[in-house]
Amino acid sequence: MNSISDAAFWSRIQFAFTITYHYLFPQLTMGLAWFIVYWKWRALRTSDEKYNQAARFWAKIFGLNFAVGVVTGIPMEFQFGTNWAGFSKYAGGVIGQTLAMEGMFAFFLESAFIGAFIYGEKRLGPRYHFLAALAVALGSWSSGYFIIVTNAFMQHPVGYRIDADGSLGIDSLSAYLLNQWAWIQFTHNQMAALVTGSFVVAAVGAFYALRGLHLEQARLYLRAGTVMGLTASLLVAFPTGDQQAKMVGIHQPVTLAAMEGRFVGGPMAGVALIGQPNVAARRLDNPIEVPGALSFLAYGHFGSYVHGLDEYPEESWPDNIELLYYSFHLMITLGTIFIVLMFGAVIQILRGRLESSRWLLWVLMLAFPFLYIANTLGWMTAELGRQPWLIYGLFRTSDGYSKVVSSGDTVFTLIGFVGLYFVLGVLFLFMVGREISHGPGDPETGGHSEEPSV
Amino acid sequence: MNATWYSILSFMLIVYVVLDGRNFGAGMLHWLVARTPAERRQVIAAIGPLWTWHEVWLVGFGGTMFAVFPKLLASAFAGYYLALFLILWCLILRGISLEVGGQINDRMWQGFWDFVFVVASTLLAVLFGAAAGNMARGVPLASDGTFSMAFFTDFTPRGYVGLLDWYSVSIALFAAVALAAHGATYLTLKTEGAVHDRSAGYARVLWATAAPLLLVISVESSVVRSDLLGHAIKNPYWWLGLLLDGAAAITLISGLVTRREMRALIGSSLLLAGLPATGAAAIFPVVLHSTLAPENSLTVYDVAAAPNSLTYAAIWWPIGFALSAAYCVFVSRQYAGKVSVKRDNQGFY
Repeated sequence: MNSISDAAFWSRIQFAFTITYHYLFPQLTMGLAWFIVYWKWRALRTSDEKYNQAARFWAKIFGLNFAVGVVTGIPMEFQFGTNWAGFSKYAGGVIGQTLAMEGMFAFFLESAFIGAFIYGEKRLGPRYHFLAALAVALGSWSSGYFIIVTNAFMQHPVGYRIDADGSLGIDSLSAYLLNQWAWIQFTHNQMAALVTGSFVVAAVGAFYALRGLHLEQARLYLRAGTVMGLTASLLVAFPTGDQQAKMVGIHQPVTLAAMEGRFVGGPMAGVALIGQPNVAARRLDNPIEVPGALSFLAYGHFGSYVHGLDEYPEESWPDNIELLYYSFHLMITLGTIFIVLMFGAVIQILRGRLESSRWLLWVLMLAFPFLYIANTLGWMTAELGRQPWLIYGLFRTSDGYSKVVSSGDTVFTLIGFVGLYFVLGVLFLFMVGREISHGPGDPETGGHSEEPSV
Repeated sequence: MNATWYSILSFMLIVYVVLDGRNFGAGMLHWLVARTPAERRQVIAAIGPLWTWHEVWLVGFGGTMFAVFPKLLASAFAGYYLALFLILWCLILRGISLEVGGQINDRMWQGFWDFVFVVASTLLAVLFGAAAGNMARGVPLASDGTFSMAFFTDFTPRGYVGLLDWYSVSIALFAAVALAAHGATYLTLKTEGAVHDRSAGYARVLWATAAPLLLVISVESSVVRSDLLGHAIKNPYWWLGLLLDGAAAITLISGLVTRREMRALIGSSLLLAGLPATGAAAIFPVVLHSTLAPENSLTVYDVAAAPNSLTYAAIWWPIGFALSAAYCVFVSRQYAGKVSVKRDNQGFY
């Protein structure tokens, strides 16, 4: 299945590439949306122009980010049919429900208001403009929920039944929509999106503070970004991340064993701080472990028995244990660093010293790419951990791809996506860099001039 | 239930064609009706803030098809593989050109994105037209309900057909002309000044070209699918569709002749809705016709999800639809009226 000329392999690579690239944008959309809503709300309540200025500046970056998110999102839905026809045929009766609901409830809401929100401040007036911002934020979060329900079904299928022709159908729509896995995964994921938003906002604040530009705005961004950043990065770890790992332990014990590089089961299981999984030798090389920590985290007692990979048949092991192990461990490491960094920043804010702590501002300015890396690693952990299943315990990935599509076709379209997305990425960075160098409140905002009031 | 969902899916696709079709049309005519940079921004502004909402009808159509007819999605999307990705890439480029084109007030920058906009819009009109041709003609569907199709084979619409043959190419040509005419009709209503006058001229010329082309593709269709007419006349909805086409044509012509711009646009929209609706009624209940053997064809009864899934979808779909329509009405009211060249159209609103 992992042979490099295999059609299934290329369909997996194409989906992985397009979804990973796509998700760089919605995570900022979902995180930034509430900052803008907050500033719009403060502006309405206090009539202080600095909040409007902040909202206007971030709305421009939000708009660019949203546009790339939309155009890279459309291919995702279509790939279910083009590259994963076997899966669509088998599970469309279930997962089609949420993908359609995403269109009907989330996309229509977002798309109706995004244009009016980004360019229509004067036309809509302050109240309607606030509502437009709120509509876009709600749309982006509900879109996230429908997608995560779909993914949660693939991780932990509930509410389905097997119909006469062998395909899946909905048994209980409420059980499917309220899947416990979905709630935990959704809160974990949304908190992580808020952390991305917080770090990006704080990074721009730090950039301006270091250069001595737009100082009032810089202060606003640093304060909002670090307070939200600390709150959300704590919530990512506890309770949401902790609950997520416990759920993996209950429903996908073999995945938890692989995530931890735990080849042999036993009590007093440790968490590896360092170590390289050696799958052929069935061991972790050069391990440094905290004894008993995994037992405690997964089951609440230091002495608890944690299953090892040796207890499961090899064909049920995730098929890329090395990458899964590193994704999980690096995500945890980065998450811990984010908490420490934001904690330090908030302390400095409380002491009134953040703007003079140049070293901390430098770190805050340069840290934001790691948020994208950590979010991506989290999704890699979820999706590599689900292997070799497409729907855990029900349907294998090797049965899901489109048999009529040749490797040649998929490699062709993959090359097309890589090329097109490279251009999009360069364009996006150029446009965002331009907005940041213009800065907030600059009357010379290039092409963004508002229409004259009527 | 299956027939109801067939109608709902056809409805969603038709709404998409009517709404985004006018954006494709405006895109194809962009260089012809707008000569100066200011006029070009005027055309983009006329497309308006709801273009993403228009595009979502296609996404909503795909999603709803996934929920109710998953086996159709599986068969058709995998079969139309390359064509679909071309459409997706063009949609990406069209969207980006609209979003970033107005952001920098520079002739070179805007000229480049205008070019991307024109090319992507034209290709989209042609590709969607070819897709419609393929729906009517059929695809080389095997007995297991799958097919894979080359871009072209020997250009005949029989047996192992490709995406493009003389039939689907002529449908694509008609689609491009009709959508351009629809776009011109819309720009006539939505703009003033030189763009308005040129658009009005193009609307008349293009509709006059589309009429004989429609006759040609009707005759072609009766040759390529000789079985279809006998099947269609038994369906009362097909007759209703014809009636709608007739009424739309009369409305359109009277609107163009008397220069009543709103009436012309209503006629043009109804015609672009009526033609695919008539086609959808004609092929029902077959959703994918096999050019190899009629018994391989897939009907709405073969491709549907289990009855339970259809029932659940029937509960939430109307709610989503009502909400969506409400958003559109709200936003459209904020953006009513003509777009002038004098107003600053940077960033397009």
